[in-house]
Amino acid sequence: MPREIITIQAGQCGNSIGSQFWQQLCQEHGISQDGNLEDFATEGGDRKDVFYYQSDDTRYIPRAILIDLEPRVLNSIQTGPYRNIYNPENFYVGKNGMGAANNWGDGYQSGEAVYEDVMEMIDREADGSDSLEGFMMLHSIAGGTGSGLGSFLLERLNDRFPKKIIQTYSVFPNTTNAPDVVVHPYNSILSMRRLTQNADSVVVLDNGALSHIAADRLHVQEPSFQQTNQLVATVMSASTTTLRYPGYMHNDLVSILASLIPTPRCHFLMTAYTPFTGDQVEQAKTVRKTTVLDVMRRLLQPKNRMVSTVPGKKSCYISILNVIQGEVDPTDVHKSLLRIRERKLATFIPWGPASIQVALTKRSPYMPMSHRVSGLMLANHTSIATLFKRILKQYDGMRKRNAFIEGYKKTAPFSENLDEFDEARQVVSDLVMEYEAAEDADYLNPDNGDKATSAETDRRMA
Amino acid sequence: MSSGVRTRASSRANAFADERSRVSGANGSFRSGTADAKNAEPQLGANESNKRSSPGHARERLGKERRFEERKVIERSFEAHVERVTSRTASPAKQEQQRRAQQQAEMRPAEMRRQKSSTELRPRDVRAETPPVVWNPEASLLPHTSAALASRISIPPIAFAIPFAPQPKPLNELTLEAQEAAIVEDLLYVFMGYEGQYIRYARGYSPNEERDRLSGPPFRILPGLDPSLHDLTKSMLKMATYYSALEAFVDVQSREEFGAVNHALCASVRKCLQDYLVMIAQLETQFLTSESFTVHVLNIHTLPTCQMLSHLYAMAQELLKKNALLDDESDEEDDDEIDDYDKVLERLAEGGELVPGSSKALKVCKGGSVLGLLASRLESMGGDPAARSLLTTLLRDASRPYMKMLNEWLHHGSIHDPHAEFMIREQKSIGRERLERDYIDEYWERRYTIRDQDVPPQLEGVKEKVLLAGKYLNVVRECGGVDVSKIVTELPTSFDDKRFIENVNNAYAHANESLMQLLLTTHELPLRLRSLKHYFFLDPSDSFSYFLELGSSELRKPAKSVNTSKLQSLLDLVLRQPGTVASLDPFKEDVKVEMNEITLINNLQRVVNITGIESGQVMQPVTNQQPIEPDKNATGFTSLQLDYSVPFPVSLVISRKTVWRYQALFRFLLHLRYLESQLSSTWQSHTGAVTWSHKGPNRELEALKRRTWTLRGRMLVYIQQVLYFCTAEVIEPNWTKFMSRLKAKDEMSDKPSGFNRTVDELMQDHVDFLDTCLKECMLTNSKLLKVNSKLMQACAIFSQYTNFVTREIEKIDPDLSSGIKPDTMTHDQWQRFQTTKVPSSRSTSAQNDASTVDDTEARMNHLSDIVRKWESNFGRHMKILSDSLNHYAATETVVLLSLCARLSSVNQGTEWAAIGAEEDDQP
Repeated sequence: MPREIITIQAGQCGNSIGSQFWQQLCQEHGISQDGNLEDFATEGGDRKDVFYYQSDDTRYIPRAILIDLEPRVLNSIQTGPYRNIYNPENFYVGKNGMGAANNWGDGYQSGEAVYEDVMEMIDREADGSDSLEGFMMLHSIAGGTGSGLGSFLLERLNDRFPKKIIQTYSVFPNTTNAPDVVVHPYNSILSMRRLTQNADSVVVLDNGALSHIAADRLHVQEPSFQQTNQLVATVMSASTTTLRYPGYMHNDLVSILASLIPTPRCHFLMTAYTPFTGDQVEQAKTVRKTTVLDVMRRLLQPKNRMVSTVPGKKSCYISILNVIQGEVDPTDVHKSLLRIRERKLATFIPWGPASIQVALTKRSPYMPMSHRVSGLMLANHTSIATLFKRILKQYDGMRKRNAFIEGYKKTAPFSENLDEFDEARQVVSDLVMEYEAAEDADYLNPDNGDKATSAETDRRMA
Repeated sequence: MSSGVRTRASSRANAFADERSRVSGANGSFRSGTADAKNAEPQLGANESNKRSSPGHARERLGKERRFEERKVIERSFEAHVERVTSRTASPAKQEQQRRAQQQAEMRPAEMRRQKSSTELRPRDVRAETPPVVWNPEASLLPHTSAALASRISIPPIAFAIPFAPQPKPLNELTLEAQEAAIVEDLLYVFMGYEGQYIRYARGYSPNEERDRLSGPPFRILPGLDPSLHDLTKSMLKMATYYSALEAFVDVQSREEFGAVNHALCASVRKCLQDYLVMIAQLETQFLTSESFTVHVLNIHTLPTCQMLSHLYAMAQELLKKNALLDDESDEEDDDEIDDYDKVLERLAEGGELVPGSSKALKVCKGGSVLGLLASRLESMGGDPAARSLLTTLLRDASRPYMKMLNEWLHHGSIHDPHAEFMIREQKSIGRERLERDYIDEYWERRYTIRDQDVPPQLEGVKEKVLLAGKYLNVVRECGGVDVSKIVTELPTSFDDKRFIENVNNAYAHANESLMQLLLTTHELPLRLRSLKHYFFLDPSDSFSYFLELGSSELRKPAKSVNTSKLQSLLDLVLRQPGTVASLDPFKEDVKVEMNEITLINNLQRVVNITGIESGQVMQPVTNQQPIEPDKNATGFTSLQLDYSVPFPVSLVISRKTVWRYQALFRFLLHLRYLESQLSSTWQSHTGAVTWSHKGPNRELEALKRRTWTLRGRMLVYIQQVLYFCTAEVIEPNWTKFMSRLKAKDEMSDKPSGFNRTVDELMQDHVDFLDTCLKECMLTNSKLLKVNSKLMQACAIFSQYTNFVTREIEKIDPDLSSGIKPDTMTHDQWQRFQTTKVPSSRSTSAQNDASTVDDTEARMNHLSDIVRKWESNFGRHMKILSDSLNHYAATETVVLLSLCARLSSVNQGTEWAAIGAEEDDQP
């Protein structure tokens, strides 16, 4: 059916998020654990075919491809409660089951080996869809498989399906506290090059921010991966509601992304979701009042963002899309927008249209929610560059000492030289510069900007 | 004798024969007559008809009166040669007339007409002098008239017209007793409408003149009667006049063209007259048997009947006047004013019509107005018990056929009205087939209309209900019959029934409920509307965007060469896809694709420009007038239009005029959506293509790229914000409002009593909903339309030229135009770029190597100019739009304020930034 999206889950993290995501989608669409529609799921009005297709026995099967180089997570999925919904042909486990050992190069080089098998799966899924809109990749960029194999797949996908949109949900490593993976700066920088060059849109999910939100909002000292994954799954399902519950607008991925990403290079999006309650994550306290204004204001608060950034004075929004779910009066939305403008809760780029887009969508009728309105913000914010900068800094620190470089040298991409590292660093620092340039009023006329600057910076405080 | 009376009552022919025998019996051997009299009679009649045609006739009547007096003398003296004497005595009068006429003609030319009429009299006078012929009265059978029960016997000649008429013994020669007996006998005849021996028609009455007969013959008593008897008799003669007039009234009014109500009224009157005749018969018996039967007794017996007849008579007169069969008194007065020349002139000027009545001859009082007349009389006579009961009876009888029609209409929705007297007019020519192209609700509005003049006052208060009840039922009937079981069996049959209004109300409630039921339940109107919303407002639009994608190759063509049937099959395909919302829609078969080569903006402009027509018609497309040139540039995308065929009863609500509104909104939304997808695909090429993502060394070019991206961003924001506004803030809330009204009706219909909403209101709600949407979507304001169309055009041009810009950038960028892979690009990217490059550009790139830097610079400047032009074009119109939105939000449509706020940021960062709006924000 029209506008299908194929989900590719790569690596431990990607697959864990993915299984959480599919569980969430199944619940929202009233699909039981064996893939059949629940008896109560009769309301209609939703489109399951964007993410599912129907098998001959009318079961709903996710358009998902699950790839990992080591079998642990995939095994747990295959024995988990939702094991029956997946197409068993869409699992790919590395032949030796050794994993990528948190080494980007390892993951990347194994790409060549898995290419044929994985591409066959992707082609099959692509052929099975009437008008494929694009791919959604779930991975982390700190580890080995998700980042390395993921990068490889991004390049190849871009080659093979140049007209299709590639969106990734990329989990960035926790850059503030003690990292899970020591070499994450290497892996991140190398992956980010592909995210910059080969993906159309990257939804950045920062492990640090996620655990922070989980701890803060849910009052959990040490949030488990399962809890943070549930956060991610919630964000993912919310960001696809307009596709799954079609309304007047934003019914395909392009229309969402096109307004969010005015300049192609700045395509790293951050998200915020409110309210997190026990419905999505256990042990969450209830937020008492959920009006549209309340939700929209919360979404703009930095502490609700799922990316830990350090906004500078000049940091600003390039664009915002708020997906508001629930029973909403359009006039409330209008009023809230006016209030936000009045109070200057959001600063926008000085050189382009500054508008908060709003998409109103239905909510799943099968998931009882204790609150009236919930909201997701997809935002393109220049402060995301600070996250990249931090990774760059950590990368530079390690690269200077050539720490842990030996492991990489053994892999194919670095067998000749370490140019790959330097090229990737260049791309990422260019990206940071692009974001910083976008904060300037003379972004559009960098050469003769001086004269207009003062006047326009005065005006930019929208 | 009583048997004789009965025969008289049944047939006047017999009565005539009887009369003759009686005359002969009383006076002996006067049996001969002249044919001359017979000839003279129609002449007289002709003269009578002339009488009113001339304003001068009064004078002529003066002369005639004189003649009559002379004739009286002659009659008294048993002069045999009446005619001779008459003509002789008449001639001086005539001469005098002529003389005076000549004098006046000399004085005033305006009197020519009068003179002419007096000269016209002459032949009659001349002919009257011709020698008398034998009197040979004949009774003949008149041809059938359309009044079935009317008398068909020719009218007997008047007594005085009979030459050598046997004259009764003069009254003064009789004794008082004989006088009384004679006069009573005469009265009994006269009461039945015949002349007696001593009581004759007054001069000037002509039985052949319908007008005279209708107003009733005046009677006169031959001189010589004892004064006491004379006075009594005279008072009773009124009744005779009434009777004759009523006879004539019944005969005339029961003609076919006067309609069923008049027929019923006549029947009722006839019944009264029957009773009257029976009474006369009884009186005669008494007269013949009782010694003590005197004129006094007769008078006392007839008094109440006389009252009754006088009421009937007055009613009949009023009715006849309304029917223009009798002149109004005012006209009569006019005729009497001999000297009112101005009026004559006025009439001449009005068209030379000097016969009053003929100018309004077409006025027919029937049906409801008859009932109205009866009712108003009943009201004004309310204080008189006798009159009230009489009129009540009449009203009851007369209203029966009307009530039958009314009940038929109220409970079956059909009209059986051959005489066009019912308050509802049906125009059979307006059939429901025409609903297909009915843009003005003709079927609903014009098929059944109220004849406003003919509504009986009893129904005046509920006439709308009556109309609607039948109209609704009619629809229900056409869709498969009225549920007969529910129909009340005991129906009031006449207007004086207590349940009369209740009946109307019940019928109305029932009809409304039936139709509502039919629409909402049987024909699933809410589902229909939802499906319309789905197709025309693109909610949810998933299936439709798929259709656009599938059909894009076809839709890209010019509108003329688009294969509509191919699109139709594609649409069917899309709608049948399982999983979409549309596949659940039961009415997907009814959606049709069509091409409208006139662009939406032109179409709307035309409609908007039609002003000055009454407010209800403003929104109607004028299909037949001056067809606008089809737009040459129209492609399938801009011309695409959906049509929706609606089966009959639902098509009343979803009529052509509403479908037109749906189409207008659809085309607007489609256009926005199309532009959105165009800009999205531009975004895709901006994002995906290496040409754009490659960061070259040319700073100027990089800035240009950014500007192009930003311009695209602005356009997209504009399109998406307008789209959001139109859907989420205009259509959706209005839709919810409309639906809640519909639901309110649903709930109402559960309770049988609570019908305060009608199908008509529902239709009005629907139209209002659409009109509000059109207005708030800025489609009814020509200025906003123009600006929006300019902006959309700018967006369309921009996205059309995406490829051109891409190629130009390829040529300008030294990294890309040279054949060597730049360092900043990965191997894969370079390869991808090389494959996407068009071969032609490869050849130019070869040239480019050789070309000078100037060439690149010129290209750069050219491209920069183009982009700047687009920027300024878009920015300027955006500014105009913001300003005019601000203006209209303040003056006309408040909702636009929200759009205003949304669009205020589109121009941010340009020279057209809405400074005013920004200032508002600064505290």
